[in-house]
Amino acid sequence: MLNALGIDVGSRYVKFARFEDGRAVMDKVDTVMFYRRCRAVSGGVDIRRLEQFAQSSFGRIVATGYGRHNVRIQGAEVISEIRAHAEGARYQTGLLDFTLIDLGGQDTKAIRVRDGLVDDFLMNDKCAAGSGRYLENIARMLGITVEELAGYCHNPAKLSVTCAIFGESEVIGKLAEGVEIESICAGANLSVASRVSALMKRFVSSTYVVTGGVARNGAVTKFLAERCEGRVLVPEHPAFNGAIGAAITAQTQETVFHTVGEPAKEADRAP
Amino acid sequence: MTAGLRTESRPFNRVGMKRIGITTTVPSEFIFAAGLAPVDLNNIFVTDINSSGFIELAETEGLPRASCGWIKGMYGAARAGMVDAIVAVSDGDCSHTRTLLEIIQSEGMPLIPFAYPYDRDHSLLRKQMEKLAAWVGVSMEDAEKWMNRLDSIRSKLWEIDRLTWEENRVTGFENHLLLVNGSDMEGDPDRFEEKCGRFLEEARQRPALPQQLRLAFIGVPPIIGDLYEFIETLNARVVFNEVQRQFTLPFRSDDIVERYLLYTYPYDVFSRIRDIKEEIAKRDIHGVIHYVQSFCHRQMEDVMFRKHLGNIPFLTVEGDAPQKLDARTKLRLESFCEMLSLKISALGRPGC
Repeated sequence: MLNALGIDVGSRYVKFARFEDGRAVMDKVDTVMFYRRCRAVSGGVDIRRLEQFAQSSFGRIVATGYGRHNVRIQGAEVISEIRAHAEGARYQTGLLDFTLIDLGGQDTKAIRVRDGLVDDFLMNDKCAAGSGRYLENIARMLGITVEELAGYCHNPAKLSVTCAIFGESEVIGKLAEGVEIESICAGANLSVASRVSALMKRFVSSTYVVTGGVARNGAVTKFLAERCEGRVLVPEHPAFNGAIGAAITAQTQETVFHTVGEPAKEADRAP
Repeated sequence: MTAGLRTESRPFNRVGMKRIGITTTVPSEFIFAAGLAPVDLNNIFVTDINSSGFIELAETEGLPRASCGWIKGMYGAARAGMVDAIVAVSDGDCSHTRTLLEIIQSEGMPLIPFAYPYDRDHSLLRKQMEKLAAWVGVSMEDAEKWMNRLDSIRSKLWEIDRLTWEENRVTGFENHLLLVNGSDMEGDPDRFEEKCGRFLEEARQRPALPQQLRLAFIGVPPIIGDLYEFIETLNARVVFNEVQRQFTLPFRSDDIVERYLLYTYPYDVFSRIRDIKEEIAKRDIHGVIHYVQSFCHRQMEDVMFRKHLGNIPFLTVEGDAPQKLDARTKLRLESFCEMLSLKISALGRPGC
């Protein structure tokens, strides 16, 4: 097996995945810090400037992120985010037919995978509405963590604006009306799920695999499970799915269909 | 006719008024027959070095930021004094155009609306042509003679199109750039014909282009400048430009009215779907890119195309202003072409 590294350059974090003894080993660094520390004088980005890779040498590096031209990592081949996420989800779940919903910091993707191949995909357009950034902003406004926000799914307040910026005004309005914070949090989670469920309906499937940082939000995945006919799976490492997919691509074809790690968990349905 | 519009039969003296702005393809035969030069306001806008300035002017005058870039660009082009009068398509394009023509007219520009009847009623379209003929002071017969003249140029454009998909000697951008000018023949048919002839001579000598993926580009011409160029870096090439080809009036008829009834763009989406399906099969196309303009009603047509074009891979790309491709659109195009390549490797061809 190649000594391979997968890198996913996201809007918030740069995620790394490699394999040791058949298990994925992951790491992440802040994206801004990554670029500040790793920018090489000769152009591009040199990951050996990161402490954890200073002494490393990789047989093959495959990177993904926000477009080929934005991922200029020295010595790395680049694949699209769509392919990386599909590969990652296929690897983490062992499935060949599913719809992948990737809920990232700034965008949302739906990818239909058939017979292990990307069959079609959709992305939200030039708008961070309903993304992780929206939930981050709401949590910050309310003075709580995103993890705490993710715990609320009961009695959701009706929020109609999922814009990462204008959504804040609506939340202020709800606070002024005296709506409970718990209810506002549940409303924010529900509004994200409602927006995403429209994408899910475009690629109807018996299995939806949900990845990205927002997949760790149990309230959002519960609401999603309520809104579709199929089962909703969250793999063991949802936020590292793209990096794992890049690492898998960096491996030989024979390893692509292997599944390691914990089995994917099926999301609970909200009561 | 749109209520309240001034549509005098001869609103201007032809002397000194040579350039007639058009908002999309209209029967330019009438304008040429009158010794006037049609100039597509879209082309003026998008090829101007200061195209963003046209949009800024429109927004400064109060046109909404959240409105169509083409409309604002045409407004800027009209305001820049580049045309002396306008033939504006009031039915068959979009309601934004209708409001645009009212705004432009209120600012003193001589203008005539031209309406393509949605139900393709022959007599109604003939009436529109007769009105246009009277406005510019020519007869239907004069225009029909010009149809034959313009067809000699169009036949060169059709050959350029054939060299694009059948012999693979013409790039998607060249095809776009030349065919889109079928709307106004660059205002000078003799010079444009010579240009097309020179291009054909050169293109016939070229080796076949190497890109493996064959794409269709459907929808309005793109406002983004480097779209075709970028696609060609992805081992892909546009071999069918739907609306640009329509601007060359590809369906033959000796009757000028019939000719403009066969032209698909201003009518229902179903005839466009039929045309696109035929060309997808004929040109051996692997994937479809549907370009939509931000804030355009045609964005909704995406639903129809996805539903009726069958199982062919389909990507929707949205553009707003005349600028280079943004990272998100590049990402989509890269992912789409990568998906097609992997499908071809695995299945022989995509969509199977």
